[in-house]
Formats: sequence, structure tokens, C-alpha cells
Amino acid sequence: MTTRAEFMERVRREMARTRGLFPARVAERPADPMTAAELVRRQLAERWPQALERFRQEFERLSGVFHAVASPSEVPAVVGRIARERSARRLITWSASALGADLGEGFRGEGLDAVAMPDDPVDEAAARELRAINAAAEIGITGADLAIGETGTLVLVSGRGRPRSTSLLPEYHFAVFDRRALVETLEQAGVMLEAWHADPADPMSGGVINFITGPSRTADIELTLTRGVHGPREVHAIFVSR
Amino acid sequence: MAPAKPALERSGPHLREEDTLLSAPVESRSFPERAAGATRDRFLQQALTIATTRFVASRDEVFAAFPQGDALRDRARQIKEAVLQRLDHYLEQLTANVERAGGHVHFATTAEEARAIILDIARRNQVKLIVKGKSMAAEEIHLNEALEHAGMAVAETDLGEYIIQLAHERPSHIIAPAIHKTKAQIADLFARELRREVAADPEVITRLARGTLREKFLQADMGITGANFAVADTGTIVLVTNEGNGRMVTSLPRVHVALMGVEKVIPSMTDLVIFLQILARSATGQKLSSYTTLVRGPRRPTELEGPQELHLVLMDNGRVRQLAGTLREALYCLRCGACLNVCPVYRQIGGHAYGDTYPGPIGILMTAMLRGTPAVKDLAHASSLCGACAEVCPVRIDIPRMLIELREHLDREKIAPWPERLLFKACGWLLGRPALYRLAAPLARLGQAPFVRDGRIRSLPSFFGRWTRTRDLPAVAARTFGERWAALAREA
Ligand code: SF4
Repeated sequence: MTTRAEFMERVRREMARTRGLFPARVAERPADPMTAAELVRRQLAERWPQALERFRQEFERLSGVFHAVASPSEVPAVVGRIARERSARRLITWSASALGADLGEGFRGEGLDAVAMPDDPVDEAAARELRAINAAAEIGITGADLAIGETGTLVLVSGRGRPRSTSLLPEYHFAVFDRRALVETLEQAGVMLEAWHADPADPMSGGVINFITGPSRTADIELTLTRGVHGPREVHAIFVSR
Repeated sequence: MAPAKPALERSGPHLREEDTLLSAPVESRSFPERAAGATRDRFLQQALTIATTRFVASRDEVFAAFPQGDALRDRARQIKEAVLQRLDHYLEQLTANVERAGGHVHFATTAEEARAIILDIARRNQVKLIVKGKSMAAEEIHLNEALEHAGMAVAETDLGEYIIQLAHERPSHIIAPAIHKTKAQIADLFARELRREVAADPEVITRLARGTLREKFLQADMGITGANFAVADTGTIVLVTNEGNGRMVTSLPRVHVALMGVEKVIPSMTDLVIFLQILARSATGQKLSSYTTLVRGPRRPTELEGPQELHLVLMDNGRVRQLAGTLREALYCLRCGACLNVCPVYRQIGGHAYGDTYPGPIGILMTAMLRGTPAVKDLAHASSLCGACAEVCPVRIDIPRMLIELREHLDREKIAPWPERLLFKACGWLLGRPALYRLAAPLARLGQAPFVRDGRIRSLPSFFGRWTRTRDLPAVAARTFGERWAALAREA
């Protein structure tokens, strides 16, 4: 087996034989990612309505469904209505602390079987049970850490009380967010990524960070667009204006 | 091949077995035979025209509405070159950061070594069922065969790859692996392999695949993916998919193995965002693919799910020696498939005729990289050098230049067949002697006389007949441009 040292030695030997094709530079990163992120946030404090409108347009172009509500307590009613139209009952949700609101009662009030994901690690038996619940769920409720106007993208970071699969296994995914998540461009999202990773211990640096741009789709059969091949076939964005 | 059962109703014209030669493994035939077979396959011709035309149209449309696209492509190209100039540094940094996040990094010089590393991980974890995301690198090293040989079950989970796997074939397009199959053929295949009646409707077939593969995701012990990028600064593996299978594979099984060529490393998240803006646009005409998944290390202690082990396999397999080789620029490739869609040769013959893992213009270069120049003795000529590939390539890889260099090499090393070399030598000699060249025109007019009909040569004898079998040759004009020019000069 090749060791790391041998492998790198070989790379260096071959590199030494050439100066490359032309003088080239990598992308210029923000010198201080935290300050750069703060600057983006300040810009968005004024421009968020434009970002939201752009997001709505792009998201709908991807066949996403956009909803706006005044407060988190109105979220269950929106979900309940869609669930009844789709004859869906089984719902899983990020934990109350991850969502920033406890919607469990609200969902149950809509007649939904709602299970919230725990904040703390569970033992193996409980984990197996949770997995079965997740696998059978029809509706998944998550937050969103960014909503990108330019592309209609929702960005979700996995972590405590925010499993990777809540936005993946169910057929219907609802992401709830407010104006703090809005950015206008992918470039701004890039600044946020840099800031999240400035400290490797920052929980916002993952496990997994997912950029979700519309429903799961495939065009593998005769280039016919088909939704919901593995992931959700519908994605709903619920904007809370508060 | 699975034994053929009576086919269900086909929606297309009924075809005889020899019309669909491409469903058999093709490597045993020579390139001209494979190409000829492909041009006779009516299903394939239809599918190729529809698919490539649509891909090209969506790509052009999305770039037309994206004025900063050109500048971003220039920057992306620069980044790729800059990374290669400090490849050792970025690989070291990537390794350190993957390990810091709790992952393991392995180094494979050859395909064989890469297979052995992955087999070993699977064995140590007592893996029975593996789910795979789409990975050209895994195709390149024939990973599935190795795992199956060791008694493990492997399920491809990208719908196109799954179809190909059921059919025991190889992908025919980098991003749309089953582009060569019609929905009727796929419905037949599912009916046969899954033993149930299936309507030839993409929606129905997709639902069926969702159910079947969902079971496998939930049961699998190990997930294998490629990597579109790996960010050195953070140790992040980046997967770009539309279906969400990449997310399943990296969320549900207890072990995740990512296999990537060394050239996929990029410096930072800022660089990543530049690539993301052009990758999906070039591949499918989307602004972003449905899912861009950034994986950093195995499951965190705060997480309820995710793999307990994460392994990154960094693979050389012929790449590193090209750092100073003629194919260096091919190491920029993002595998978007845009160069396939615009290539007049690919559009005629499809992916299988290329006979190896990577099809299309970039595929010729990749085949040369992986198997050496003699392996592309014929393929090096499967290009009109029109330059369409270089024009659409998001990182502006000059594919035609490298193809010409390959041809030169084949000639110099006497790998090309002698009549070809002789002919080119004769042409070169003649073109270097203007006086003789001027004499050649009247001579050619004499020589061609028996073959010319209506100003065209439609068939030629023996060796030269290969040319006229598939196209006409324009006859040498009654007065060539040179002759007319000379006459005009005399008059003046
Ligand atoms: S060579 Fe360029 S166009 Fe072709 S697949 Fe690679 S990146 Fe895409």
C-alpha cells in the first residue's frame, strides 16, 4: 500500500518537472470572515424585502410552494391544510430548540401525528425506533439557516435536534425561516460559509450542510423531468414575518 | 446479460436483435465497428438527438441570462491551474482537515490499490449491502465488480446508474448514464429484473425505483460516493446531485467512503461558490442542482444520525504523471458533460462506442490518461477538431489542442498504422514544396477522372474506400483557386 509520504513525494516529484501552464491565482477570500459576514447582515437588514421577493420568484420557478405567515404559531395551520389535501398525517420535525418555536401542540391540533426529534443523543433502541418513524413520515418540518434569493435555495445545517433526514425522507418538506436567513446571492452565501468555518468547532460548520434547490428530481428516463425520485417531491417554504 | 424474456409492448418501431447491439458489452469490438453499430441503432440515434439538443439548449439559455458567467469561467480555470501548481500543499491541508474532523484519509496510486482499500474498509465493518451514489471514479476502477466478487451486494442509487446496473451495462453519458435507453426498454428491463408489470411511463418507473431503493438505503451498511470537490481549508467533501441519493448514502449507512481523483481538491469555500455557479449551468442548465451536500467528517456527537466512520480515498491512477504531461489541462475537468452534448461525433455515436469509462471528447483524453496513448490509437481521431467542446467547457479546457498532440505522439511513436503515417508524411512533404504542389492539381484531376460524378467522388477503391463508405469527397476543381489567382495576377 502507498503511504501518505510516498504518495506526496510522487506528487512533488511530478510538480517539480513543470512550472504549469500559466500564472494563476486562487479565489480571494475575505480577510476576516466574521467581519465580512457582519457586513452582509447589515446590508440585508435593509435589503431583505428585495431578497425575499427574489427568493419567492426563484423558488416558485423551481415548483416550490411559498407561504408567508405573521408568526410561528400560524405555521401548523398552513401545514395542516396541505397535509389534508395530500391525505398525509405522519409528521416529523426538528426539535423545538432547533426550530426556535414549539409547534408540537399546534400540529396535533391539526390532527397530525407529530414527532419532534430529540436534542440529545439517544440509546440504540430509541435510535432504531426513531429511524422507523423517520422512514414512515410523510411530512418533514425543518428550519433554514439561509434562503438564497438568486437561486431559490434553502441551506440547512445538520446538528443538535436537526437531523439530516428530516428534509430528505418525507415526501413533503416544509422549511420555516424568517428574515434573518435571507441573503441575495450565492456569493453572500459563500461569505457565510467562510464565517461558519472560521472556527472549526462552530456547530454551523456541519456535520452536513445541504443546499436544497427545489424538490428531488431526475431526468434519467428520456430526459423527462420527474419529481420525488429519492427525496421530497414537494418543497414548501414558510416565511415568518413576525 | 440476463436471459431475454418475451418483451412487453414496445412503443417504438419493432427492432431486431442486431439493431440494439449496444446493449451488449462492447469492448471486444474495435472502435470503427462500435461506431458503425451505433450509427445503425435507430433507438440510440433518436435518443441522442433529443437529449443532446435539449442539454445544449438549456445550457445556452441559462448562460445567456448570466452575464457574469464568462468571467466566472475564467476565474474557475485559474483556480484549477493554481491548485495544480500547489497540489501537494492542498492535498496535505485536505488530509489534515479531514482527519481533524474525525475522518480517515487513504492514498491509492493505482486502481487496484483503490479497490483494495475500499474492500478492506468494507470487510472490517462486516458490510453486506452497499449503496452507491453516482461516481465516475468508481466506474473508472470497476469497483462494483470487485465488491460483488467479494460477496457483497452493491446497489447503484442514481436512477440512471440503477437502470444501467440492472441492464449490466456501462454509463453512456457522464451525467445522464442511461441516455441511450428508451422508456419502453427501461420498462421491459424493470419488468424482467423486478418481476412485475411496469408501464412505460417515467413517472411510474421512477415511483417503483423509489420504493425499491428506499428499502436498500435503510438496510445498507456502507455508502460509497465520489466527490465533485473537496475543500482543503475545511476538509469538506462536496457532492452535487439532483435526486437526493447522495444525501441518503451519506446520511443513513454507518460507514461512508468517498473516492476521488486528486485533482478534485479546491482551496476554500469561496472557490467552491465560484465553481457551483457554473457547474450545474453547464451540466443541465440549472442555476444549482437540487442538492449540493457539504460533508465534513463523520456524524457529530450532537447528531442522531450519519455515518460513524468516514473515509476519503485520494486516487492517482495515472493523473499525477500528467501534472507535467501533455494532458495536464484535462485535470481541470469538472465532469459536467457539456463537451459531450456539443460534440458532433458524440452526437452520432453516443457514449458506448468510445469503449471506456469516460465518453466524449474529454473521455478520449481521460482514456489516454488512464490507459496510455496506444489505447486511443483510433479514438484520437474521433473528433472533427471543430472546437465546440472548448467553447462550452466551463473551465475552458483546450481539448482540440490535446487531441492534436495525441495524434502527433501516435505518429511519432509509430503507434498509428503505417498507411496512415505514410499518407500524412506524403502530404506534409508535398505541402512543403509549392512548385510540386501546383503540379499536383492537374495530376489529381487526371487520376480522379474515373471516379467523379457531378463534381463529387462517391466511392473509391481499396484502402481509400473507407473514407467514401460514409461520406463523399469533393472532386478537385476544374480550376483551383491557386490557378485562378495566378491567371488573375497575369491579367493585372
Ligand atoms: S472537459 Fe469541460 S465540458 Fe467536458 S466534462 Fe470536463 S468540464 Fe465539462
